[in-house]
Amino acid sequence: MLWLALHFPLLPLEALPLRQSPSALVSRGRVCCVDRAAAEAGVGRGQKLSTALGLAPALAVFERDAGREAAALASLACWAGRFTPTVSLAAPDALLLEIGGCLRLFGGAEAIVAAVEAGCREQSYSLTWAAAPTPLGALWLARAGRAAVHPEVNAMQAALADLPCTLPDWPADVVERLDAFGLRRLGDLRRQPAAGLRRRIGNAPLDDLARAWGEIPHPQLAFVFPESFRLAIELPARVEHAEALAFAGQRLFSALTGWLQVRQLLVRSCVLHLTHDDRSTSELPLRFAEPAADEARFARLLREHLGRLQLRAPVEALCLQAEEVTARPGASAGLFEQAVAGEGLALCLERLQARLGAGAVRGLAGQADHRPECATGWREPDLDLPVSAASTVGLAPPRPLWLLPAPQALSEERGRPFWQGPLSLQSRAERLESGWWDEGEAGAAGDLRRDYFVARNPQGQWAWIFRDRDGWFLHGLFA
Amino acid sequence: MSAVPLPLAEVLARGDIWRGDALPGLPENAIASGHAELDAELPGGGWPRGNLSEILVDRCGQGEMSLLLPALASLSQAGGWLALIDPPWQPHAPAWAAAGVVPERLLVIRAGRDAAWCCEQLLASGGFAGVLAWPAVGVDARALRRLQVAVEGRPTLACLWRPTAVASLPSPAPLRLVLAGEASGLTVHILKRRGRPAARPLHLSIPRPGRSSRALVGPSLSVVAARSAALAAVA
Repeated sequence: MLWLALHFPLLPLEALPLRQSPSALVSRGRVCCVDRAAAEAGVGRGQKLSTALGLAPALAVFERDAGREAAALASLACWAGRFTPTVSLAAPDALLLEIGGCLRLFGGAEAIVAAVEAGCREQSYSLTWAAAPTPLGALWLARAGRAAVHPEVNAMQAALADLPCTLPDWPADVVERLDAFGLRRLGDLRRQPAAGLRRRIGNAPLDDLARAWGEIPHPQLAFVFPESFRLAIELPARVEHAEALAFAGQRLFSALTGWLQVRQLLVRSCVLHLTHDDRSTSELPLRFAEPAADEARFARLLREHLGRLQLRAPVEALCLQAEEVTARPGASAGLFEQAVAGEGLALCLERLQARLGAGAVRGLAGQADHRPECATGWREPDLDLPVSAASTVGLAPPRPLWLLPAPQALSEERGRPFWQGPLSLQSRAERLESGWWDEGEAGAAGDLRRDYFVARNPQGQWAWIFRDRDGWFLHGLFA
Repeated sequence: MSAVPLPLAEVLARGDIWRGDALPGLPENAIASGHAELDAELPGGGWPRGNLSEILVDRCGQGEMSLLLPALASLSQAGGWLALIDPPWQPHAPAWAAAGVVPERLLVIRAGRDAAWCCEQLLASGGFAGVLAWPAVGVDARALRRLQVAVEGRPTLACLWRPTAVASLPSPAPLRLVLAGEASGLTVHILKRRGRPAARPLHLSIPRPGRSSRALVGPSLSVVAARSAALAAVA
């Protein structure tokens, strides 16, 4: 077993994304958590709010909310699901990841730590970490800021012996008594006779010590990844520009990616609920061209959508809900290295539809109708179309590749139609008489009675023209 | 490092080496155009894939699509996807199907001002067999350069339709053609190609709808191709 402890020292504050700096968190009138800019201005823990505001007048102050912290920790646990399925919460501000089973997958503990650090940086969480064979040992080392991987028990014990006795888990009176005994380091504590110490400071600290040293087992309660994904995030200030939501949304999608990885699922569509400051909500549906579980892809699509979104009121909170998920099929990796040729069709179409609108990207479909206006249908691009799906065409009279959106009336001079010069007819008339069934319906082509001709003008353009009772019309071009 | 240099003949035999007096041959990257005279003049013996081609033509309806249709039809029937970006008119599905293009794998994209961006995305994705664009807003040399970079190395036939007014402007596209209609067919003037410059314009006969050519509907080959096939049969 190798436990990676992740400690988020500023979690209460950083659970609020998009806050401005300097900022501080207040609980019962006293400052309890400050960010770096506030700390540089002299604001520290335990100060009164009035003192803190005196030191840093621009300080943004938020009330502490335990529920928000728990939600942020749960979202981080979901995110950590991408590294290992065995995640436990060490409330209030730490996670324990069992990485001993996935070292080979990632290529060593250092690679996992690097990925974790990069992920935290992206979500702008500050982090201290340590990896050790016992969960409590890793947690203590992480809280003390001793960032190192100790795969061996001996190395971990040596590192633990060097830690000061002022552990936040232990009651204040125990810490005071140990200080009075002159025991400063955990190593000093270990050297004392256990029975006497137990009589003086109680059983709990010594049991903790034995657990950290790996002498008695320390079972961990695994974090249960929720059955369905719905995660909310509260914004510290009202956001008026849609682009600014991209960062907060990215945290949600990071958690979604980890959750999908643990549950072995792919998401096909999800909805981002925006709560406005007047308590109304609006929805931003995100649909993927194919089921996906790729964080970079989510982020790209979200940015495209947010770029087009007009907020009707400032946003106070976000909530991401996975609507449609499918099981992830196993994928075979290539035995030999194959050149990756671009991102592929699905992703590209998805991006185009996000930017240009869903109606701007359409596939063609033939329809069995003699009226030229009705012979072309439109459909959503279907990427699963089998290769052999070719339309069967019989021997047909000539049809032009291009049609005008609506027939264009042509003038007539000396009995000949005129389109950028007199048109000379190149074929016999082809009579099309069809469509009595939708005569008079709105949007329908209706009953047609036309004689079509192939014609050519002096510029060398080949046109498809027709004559009906209203005169000559240009309808298409042979190209 | 080996000190022995490759023999010159071996180097010259490589597909991606070309000499000034000959057209480079890259058979796997070209797709036959269906017009034998044109294939003889195009480097590699057909429309290039993984390179930008510019076709300059002023008027629609002179047979300019017939130049590409046989190539598009073979790409489409092999399962490839084709994309038309901002075509000047609406495609008429029965005609495309009759020409051999599978309409279900033909996408029409209305990009408007984003045409250059859209084109770049499609080319860079590598998922399309053919991308044809009619950019309405003038694409400048920088946009063309980006498109050429995007398509390089991709198995995509990329064609840009532009007016003949831009013929005198420089362009990074390795192949540029100017088309002009005439009574019997189409005149193709190769403005730029890899290899030696083209000496004279080509006259291609294009199958035309109408009384005389009822039987020639579809992706028929040009007259010269038919004649050479006949000669081969005689010999």
